[in-house]
Amino acid sequence: MSIVDFISQFAPEVILTIAALAIMLIGLGLEAKEKRALGYIAIISLVLGILIIVLRGAYELQLEGIIADSLTIDPMSQFFKLTFLLVSLIVVIASLKEYDNHPNQDEYYTLIMLGTIGMMVVASAVDIVTIFIGFELASISTYALAGFNKKDRSSMEAGIKYFIVGALSSALLLFGLSYLYGLSGGLTNISDIAEFFSANPTIIQSPFGIMALVLIVAGFGFKMALVPFHMWAPDTYQGAPTVISALLAAGSKKMAFVAAFRVLLIAMIAIKVDIAMVFTILAIITMTIGNVVALSQRSLKRMLAYSSVAQAGYISMVFVVMSPEALTGAVLYVMSHAFMKTGAFIAVAALGYMLLRENSSAKDVDHLDNFAGLGKRSPFLAFSIMIFLFALSGIPPTAGFVSKFILFYSVLEGGFVFLVTVAILNSALSLYYYARVVKYMYVLPPSSSERLALPKAYSLAILVALIGVLAIGIVPEPFVNWAASAANVLGL
Amino acid sequence: MDFGSLAFLIVALPVLAFVLTLAFGNRLPNGGGHIPIVAIAMSFIISVLIFLQIYPNHGTVEQSAHWFSVLNVGIFIDPLAIVMLMMVTFVSLLIHIYALGYMSHDPGQTRYFAETALFTAAMLGVVLADNILQFFIAWELVGLCSYLLIGFWFRKPSAAAAAKKAFLTTRVGDVLFLAGIVILYFNMYTHVLPVVGGHETVYLLQFKTIFENLTLIPTDQLTIITLLFFGGAVGKSGQFPLHVWLPDAMEGPTTVSALIHAATMVTAGVYLVARTFPMFIAAPESLIIVALVGGFTALFASTMGLVMNDIKRVLAFSTISQLGYMMMGLGVGAIIGAEAVGFAMFHLINHAFFKACLFLCAGSVIHAVGTNDLREMGGLFGKMKITATTMLISSLALAGIGIPVSIGAIKLGTSGFVSKDAIILEGAYSYFAHGGVYGSLIFFFGVAAALLTSIYTFRLWFMAFTGKPRQERHAHEAPSTMTGPLIILATLALVFGALTFSPFIHYLETTYENEFFEEIDPNGYIHGLAERAGYHIPEHPIVHLDLAHDTLIMMLPVIAGLLGLAISWAIYHKRMFSVASIGNMRNPLFRILAKRYYQHEIFIELISLKFTYGVLALTSEFSDRKIVDGTIDAISSFFIGGAEVLKKIQTGVVQNYATATVLGVALIALVLSWGVI
Repeated sequence: MSIVDFISQFAPEVILTIAALAIMLIGLGLEAKEKRALGYIAIISLVLGILIIVLRGAYELQLEGIIADSLTIDPMSQFFKLTFLLVSLIVVIASLKEYDNHPNQDEYYTLIMLGTIGMMVVASAVDIVTIFIGFELASISTYALAGFNKKDRSSMEAGIKYFIVGALSSALLLFGLSYLYGLSGGLTNISDIAEFFSANPTIIQSPFGIMALVLIVAGFGFKMALVPFHMWAPDTYQGAPTVISALLAAGSKKMAFVAAFRVLLIAMIAIKVDIAMVFTILAIITMTIGNVVALSQRSLKRMLAYSSVAQAGYISMVFVVMSPEALTGAVLYVMSHAFMKTGAFIAVAALGYMLLRENSSAKDVDHLDNFAGLGKRSPFLAFSIMIFLFALSGIPPTAGFVSKFILFYSVLEGGFVFLVTVAILNSALSLYYYARVVKYMYVLPPSSSERLALPKAYSLAILVALIGVLAIGIVPEPFVNWAASAANVLGL
Repeated sequence: MDFGSLAFLIVALPVLAFVLTLAFGNRLPNGGGHIPIVAIAMSFIISVLIFLQIYPNHGTVEQSAHWFSVLNVGIFIDPLAIVMLMMVTFVSLLIHIYALGYMSHDPGQTRYFAETALFTAAMLGVVLADNILQFFIAWELVGLCSYLLIGFWFRKPSAAAAAKKAFLTTRVGDVLFLAGIVILYFNMYTHVLPVVGGHETVYLLQFKTIFENLTLIPTDQLTIITLLFFGGAVGKSGQFPLHVWLPDAMEGPTTVSALIHAATMVTAGVYLVARTFPMFIAAPESLIIVALVGGFTALFASTMGLVMNDIKRVLAFSTISQLGYMMMGLGVGAIIGAEAVGFAMFHLINHAFFKACLFLCAGSVIHAVGTNDLREMGGLFGKMKITATTMLISSLALAGIGIPVSIGAIKLGTSGFVSKDAIILEGAYSYFAHGGVYGSLIFFFGVAAALLTSIYTFRLWFMAFTGKPRQERHAHEAPSTMTGPLIILATLALVFGALTFSPFIHYLETTYENEFFEEIDPNGYIHGLAERAGYHIPEHPIVHLDLAHDTLIMMLPVIAGLLGLAISWAIYHKRMFSVASIGNMRNPLFRILAKRYYQHEIFIELISLKFTYGVLALTSEFSDRKIVDGTIDAISSFFIGGAEVLKKIQTGVVQNYATATVLGVALIALVLSWGVI
C-alpha cells in the first residue's frame, strides 16, 4: 500500500495527528487568553474526521492487510471510530467553556486528540502489538487528563490511582499477549493466532495457554471496568475533571470493548476453551455490584461511574452469548452508551460550572442536593439530564431502549434465560437511582429561585448528545444495520 | 405542478403554527391568533388544490416512508380523506377567525390558539394517516388536545372535572381500539406476512395492505377486531354507553365545543369506521351492532336534549344524536354496501357545517347575555338579527326541514334534510326492505329521533329569541369577525346539501370502488367480502322510492320534522300549554329525562363509587399497601442495605485495588482451569 493510499484510508487519524501536533506547537507561542482558538482547531479536525467517515459509508467496506497485516478498515472499525470522534467532539465543545482562559489549554487539547487517535488505532487494529500500542497511547494521554486539574487534590488522586492500577493491568495484558506470541511461535495477527491455535488445540489448553487467557481477560477487564477490576473507576470518574470523566467512560472504556470483541471473540471461537462461565460470572457480579452500589451514591459523578460499571456488565454478556445478534446489540449499545453517558457527564459538568461561577468556594457541586428544583432553574439542562437518565435506564424512545432491547433479546434467544433474568432485574433496580435524580429535579423545591444561565458551549455539547440519543431511539434502523454489518465482520 | 407533494404541509403548517404561537404569541396582538389562521388557511388551500387535482379521475395521493421493521409513516388521500380534509381545514379556519373575537378578552388566548392549532394538526394527522398505527398516534394526540381545551379554564373546578371525565371515558374506548390494533397486527403477522413477505415495500399496518389481504384473516378474528375498533369509535364519538363525557365537555370555551365537540374530533370515530369499512363489511355482525348502537344513541340522546336548560348541553346531546345517525348510516352497509360510507360522510360534512354554526351562534348569544341558561334568555331576535337568522337556518338544517323532491340534481331542502333523509330512507329503509336484521327497529329509531330532534331544536330557538326578554342586560350583536363565520356556515347549512348530494355520493363511492380494489377482486371487492362472510349485498341495494306510490314512507321524516316544529311552536312560542304542567319533577317521564336516565347515579355513584372505588379500589388498596408495598419495601431495604455494605469495599486505598485485581486474576484462573480439567 502506497503512502497516498494509506493517507486516504486513514484520513481522520492523519488529520487528528496533524491537528494535535499543530495545537501543541502553536500553543507554545500564545498567551493564555489566545489559546481559546486551539479548541476550535480541535473541533474542526474532529468534525472533518466525522464527515469523512460518515460520507464514505461503511456497510460494504472491507480492507485488510494494511501495514504488515496490522490494521484493517471495516464496518466495525468505522463504527467505533465514529463513536470515539463524536465523544471527543462533545467533550471538546464543552471544554471550550470549562477551560476558557486556562494557561495549559494547548496541552489539554493535544492530550485529548492523542487519546482519541489511540482509541482509533485500537478500533482498526488486528494485531496484538498494534492493539497494545493504541491502548497505551490512549491510556497515557488519559492518565494525564484525569489529573489535569493540578490544584485540585481529588483530581490528582484520581490521576494517580488510575495510573497505578492502569499500569498493573497493562502489565497483565502485555504479559498475556506475550504468552500468545510465544506459544504461537511468533505470530501477532489475531486471525493467524486463532488459526494456529485451532490447528493445535493442545497448546492453548496447556497451563501456559490458560494463563495467557486469564491475563488477557484481566487486562481487558480493567479497561472495561468489570468487577473486580473496576475499583479505579468510581474514584477516577469522581475525581477527574467532569468532562474528562465523560471521555473516560464513553471513549477509552469503549476502546477496550472493540479490542475485546476482536481478540476474545475471534480467538475464543478458534480455541474452543469454554470461557462462557467466566464471563457469566463476571457479567452478573459486574451488573449487580454496579447497580446496587449506585443506589446509595449521593454524588452524581460517582453514581454515573457505578452505572457505567453496570452497563459494562450488560455489554459483556455478548462474550457469553457469542451470536451475531448479541454482537449487534453490544456494538449498538457501545454507541448509545457513548451518547447517553457523555451527555450525562457533560450536563453534570455544566451544572458544576454554573454553581462554581455563582460561588467559587462551593464544594461537592455534583451532590444530589444541588439538583433539587433544577427543572425550574434551568429547564433545558434538567430536561436533557432526564432524557439521558431515562436512556441509561432503557426507556423508549431513546437509544438506551433500542440497544438494550436488541442485546437482551439476543441473550434470551441464545437460551441464557437465567442471565437475561438477572440483567432485566438489574435494569429494573437501576431505575431507582436514575428516577431519583428526576424526582430531585422536578418534584423537590429549588434551593434558590434564581435561574441559572447555561453557557452556549455546554448547550451545544448537550444538544449533540441529545440528538444522538433520540436519533438512535426514534430512527434505529440505519444504526442497527451498521451495527449488524459491523458484527458480521467477526464472522461469528 | 403536483400538489400531492405538498400534502405533508397540511399537517406541518398547523404544527409550525403551534410552535410559533407558543413561542411568540404573547408578544403579538390577539395572543398570536393570526398565526394559526394563516397556517390553516394555507392547509385549506392546499387541500382544495389537491382535491381539484385528483377529483377528475378519482385519483389518490400516496406517500410512504420506511419507519422501521414492518412499519411505515405515510400519507394517503383518497375521496374519503380529501372531503374530510377540506371540511376540517375549512371549519377550523372559520372557528379560528370567530375565536379572534370570542376569546379577545381572555388572558390565556395564546395558550388557546396554540392548543387549537395543535388540535387541528392532530386531527389532520388522523385524516391523512395511511396506516392504523399512525392513525392511532394522531387519534391519541387529538384526545390530549381535547382534554387540554375542555379544561382550558382549569381554575374552574367543574371544567377540570369535565376534562378529566372526558379523558378517562374516551380512554376506555382508546384501550379497546389499541387492543384491536394489536390483534390485527397479530393476524397480519401470522396470516398475511407469509404471503406478502419478502417485499421491502409491504408494511403490515398500512390500510392498503390490510384491504388487499383481508380475505386471509379469519372472519371471527375480524369480528373481534372491528368490534374493538368500534369500541374506540364509541368512546371518541360519544355513542351509548360512553357518551357521558360529551355534555360535560361543554365546560370548555364555546369555540372549542364547536371545533372539537361538534365538527371534527367527535366525528373521528365515524371516520375510523368509514376508513376501515372493508373490515366491517367482512365482519357483518359488527356492522349490525354499529347500526343498532348508532340508531339507539340517536333516539336516546335526543330524548335528553328535550329537557336541558343549558343551551350548549342541548346542542351536545344533539351532537351525540346526530353522530348516532352517522353510525347508523354506516351500519346499514351490511345490506347496501359501500354506498353507506357516502351517506354517513355526507351527513358528517353537513353536520359539521350546521352544528358548528349552531355552536357559534350559541357562543354569540352567551357572549351577549352572559349566561348559558335558556330560561334566562328570550326576546333576543330584535337585538341580534344576524345571530337569530343564522341560528334559525342551521336549526332548520338540524331538524331536517325540506321537501322530498328534486329538480334535476338539486334537492329541495336544507343540507341536514338531504343527508338525514338519505340515511333514513335510502339507508335504513332499504336495509329494512331487503330484510336486514332488526331493520324495522333501526328505521323506527331514525324516524322517532327526527321528531324529537325537531322539538328540542325549535324549543331552543323559541326560548332564546322569541317572547319577552327575561333579563335586564343590554344584549348586542357580535363583532364582524364573529358574524362573518356565522353567515358563511349558515349559507352552507342551507344550500350545501341541496347542491352537492349526488356528485358527493358518487365521488365517495369510488373510495372502495376503483382500480386498486378491482385488481384485488375483479367481481367486486365489497361484494366479494360480503359473500365470504356469508351474506349477500344485492345488485341494486338502494330501494328507489317514488313520491306517488310511497308517499307515506317518503314523507315520514319530513312529517316528523314539521310536527316537531309545530309542537315547539305551540308550547314554547304560543304557550298553548303551560310548560310547567308537564315540565316538572312530579311528572315521572320528565324526571327521568331531566335526571338523564339516572346515568350519573348509575355511572358515578353505583359503578364508580360503590363498585369500583368501594369494592375494587379498597380491596386493591389493602393488598397494595400490605402485600405489594410490604414486599417492595423489603426488597428495597435489602438492596439499599446491601449497597451500604458493598460501598465499604471501596476503601479508597489504591493498594487494595491492586489486591482486588490480583484476586480477580486468581478467580478467572480458577474458573477457567476448572472448566478445562
